[in-house]
Amino acid sequence: MSRLSERAWGYLLAAPAFVLLGFVALAPIGAALWLSLYRRMPVFGLDEFIGAANYVQLWSDERFWAACRVTLYFTTLSVTAELVVGFGLALLLDRLTSRSGRSSPWEQAMVLLPWAVPTVVSAQIWKWLYQPDYGLLNYLLLRVGLIDAPIDWLADPDWAIHAAVVMDVWKTTPFATLLLLAGLKALPQDLYAAATVDGAGPWERFRRITLPLLMPIVVIVLVFRTMDAVRVFDAVFVLTGGGPGNTTETLSIYAYKTLFQTLQFGYGSALATAMFILVAGLSALYVVLLRRHFQESA
Amino acid sequence: MDVATKSRRHLGRRLPVILAGVVLSLWTVAIVGCLQGGEEPASSATVLIFKHGKLSGDATVLPGLLREFEQRHPGLIVREELLPASSDRQHQYYAMNLDGGSAPFDVLAIDTIWVQEFAQAGWIGRLDDIVPMGERAAFFPSAVAAATFGGQLYAVPWYIDAGMLYYRRDLLDRYGLMPPSTWDDLVHAATVIVDAEQDRRLSGFVWQGKQYEGLICTTLDVLRSYGADLWTGDLDQAERGLQFLRDTIAMHKVSPPSTSMADEESTRHFFGDGQAVFMRNWPYAWPLLQRQGSPVRGKIGMAPLPSVPGHAGAPVLGGWLLAVAEQSSRREAAGELVRFLTSPDIQRAIAIQLGYNPARRALYSDASVLDARPELMALYPTLLQSQPRPVTPSYILLSQAAQPEISALVVGRKTPRAVLDAVRRQADRYMGGGAASVAGARQ
Repeated sequence: MSRLSERAWGYLLAAPAFVLLGFVALAPIGAALWLSLYRRMPVFGLDEFIGAANYVQLWSDERFWAACRVTLYFTTLSVTAELVVGFGLALLLDRLTSRSGRSSPWEQAMVLLPWAVPTVVSAQIWKWLYQPDYGLLNYLLLRVGLIDAPIDWLADPDWAIHAAVVMDVWKTTPFATLLLLAGLKALPQDLYAAATVDGAGPWERFRRITLPLLMPIVVIVLVFRTMDAVRVFDAVFVLTGGGPGNTTETLSIYAYKTLFQTLQFGYGSALATAMFILVAGLSALYVVLLRRHFQESA
Repeated sequence: MDVATKSRRHLGRRLPVILAGVVLSLWTVAIVGCLQGGEEPASSATVLIFKHGKLSGDATVLPGLLREFEQRHPGLIVREELLPASSDRQHQYYAMNLDGGSAPFDVLAIDTIWVQEFAQAGWIGRLDDIVPMGERAAFFPSAVAAATFGGQLYAVPWYIDAGMLYYRRDLLDRYGLMPPSTWDDLVHAATVIVDAEQDRRLSGFVWQGKQYEGLICTTLDVLRSYGADLWTGDLDQAERGLQFLRDTIAMHKVSPPSTSMADEESTRHFFGDGQAVFMRNWPYAWPLLQRQGSPVRGKIGMAPLPSVPGHAGAPVLGGWLLAVAEQSSRREAAGELVRFLTSPDIQRAIAIQLGYNPARRALYSDASVLDARPELMALYPTLLQSQPRPVTPSYILLSQAAQPEISALVVGRKTPRAVLDAVRRQADRYMGGGAASVAGARQ
């Protein structure tokens, strides 16, 4: 056996994992990038290299920009709401479990349930809840007296996107809750004890101890949820299919229709690549913010 | 240590062995099952694979007919493979599987709007010898037009549809009204009935307004009844037609706001629950609305869609055709299956037993068919008048681009003029340059 340094051995042993990762993650991304430089429409026998022409077309494509706006609006609203509600639930659960000294599996199961249901199934359930004639939501609002006539949430171009946001928040808040709860459980209790001795109230303790220490977890939640929200497909597609009047057409719905319904593989890949760049850009932004936060607090 | 604990520990030690035994026997059963299931009949037999969406009605009818085909053609075996119900998903399946160059099936059922696209792509083969030129007049002309690409026949019509007006006969009778022949009559009748009935749940006219292919069908039905079209022709008349669509919701208030999310099934349920006076839908809804237990059974009628005085309407053609995969290695046998399934006898059986509308004209004066399906008599003139959607390989591109525009009109986000400007620009882009010119060069 030849004499290899420990370092070289390490690389050698890790090589299969790197190759696998390359095949699973990098190859498809590269293939999509490559495809986005072609005009490929199998129906018309078109398969020609056109350089950046798809991206030029993308730049002047109103429907693309509209889809970007819808996607960012959806992402901003749903991720903010998920973080706030998730934080609240995490604090509540933390309280409940630390008081009684043990965590009840029922409480945790109830919080996690929406996350466990497949998105297509929960979107279908919400579609029934939103139904104008026999949907539960209209029934409740009418009974309480908040509205006079049933609202067709999904058929109204102003309401539709918000209906999708509410469903997404219900569905994915448990994810935020779970991560934040784990973070809360790991916080050193002596800091709180010391702060209490120094006379800090609950708000002060939350602002000066909980929030700063939990910041890395918050950023992880933000990164994961933003990535998912920018790519949102099934929830919105089942609820509205992108309508009415494209008011709920997100980037992935536009890419899906371009790729799989009108079979424009080159242009569809350009759309997918644009979406990838958007997600990567937002993630990079979060990482920079997190780094700055640590540098400031250090 | 008590007995229970002891036996539990004993079980714990034996559990892996038991589990392994269970898994092993399940595997054996599965493998044996597979072997039996996959067992090919006599080695000389040719197996044809027939892909299609599920037909409604009695699920034993089509298999029965296929066994009859096998009896008439010894050595041929037909295996059905079902596709998902959604036609978008079927289109996607076909495109993904035919694009590779080898087809995992021989005979396929396709929508009228796909024939040009599939023929252009070279995915389906010519069927001129299955229905020679002289025999094509036996089918509805619009269906043959939709199936003809570059002068050659690429698919054979299997069953056919056209947009119809459904109405509540009982309600019209109560107020001494006739089924409307113009849109003004329809608005008038709907307003009178809804006002007089004092039923908060009752709407005047429901139609498919969701952002999908069905919206294009409704829009073309209305525009053609105005003597106009969406992608070509007179702009002013097209503007009036589009304005009428929006007005049914916003001005006349005969159509509910939920129209902007309505598809065929939701309008059928709405009308079927007795919540609407009029409905635009395909003929498939008729047997479902008339079956035992339906709240509107015996209270409804079906008529041609209204039009504008001075213009003959032309409802949109729907329906399915049978084609043969170009890459199939058993094209001759596959052609025989298409010939069999579109023959008069089989069309009659499907019309009577499954409630589909035959694509052969002669069956609409066939005594045994009319006996079982009297409504076909009234359907015939409408089917004869029907016109296909634009017959071009670019149709899916045109339709997909137009859907959000018209949907925006339906919810009042765009004016008819703005919609027409956008749609005509799209037509120039997809039909004028690029794809269409290449298409021409390849023929």
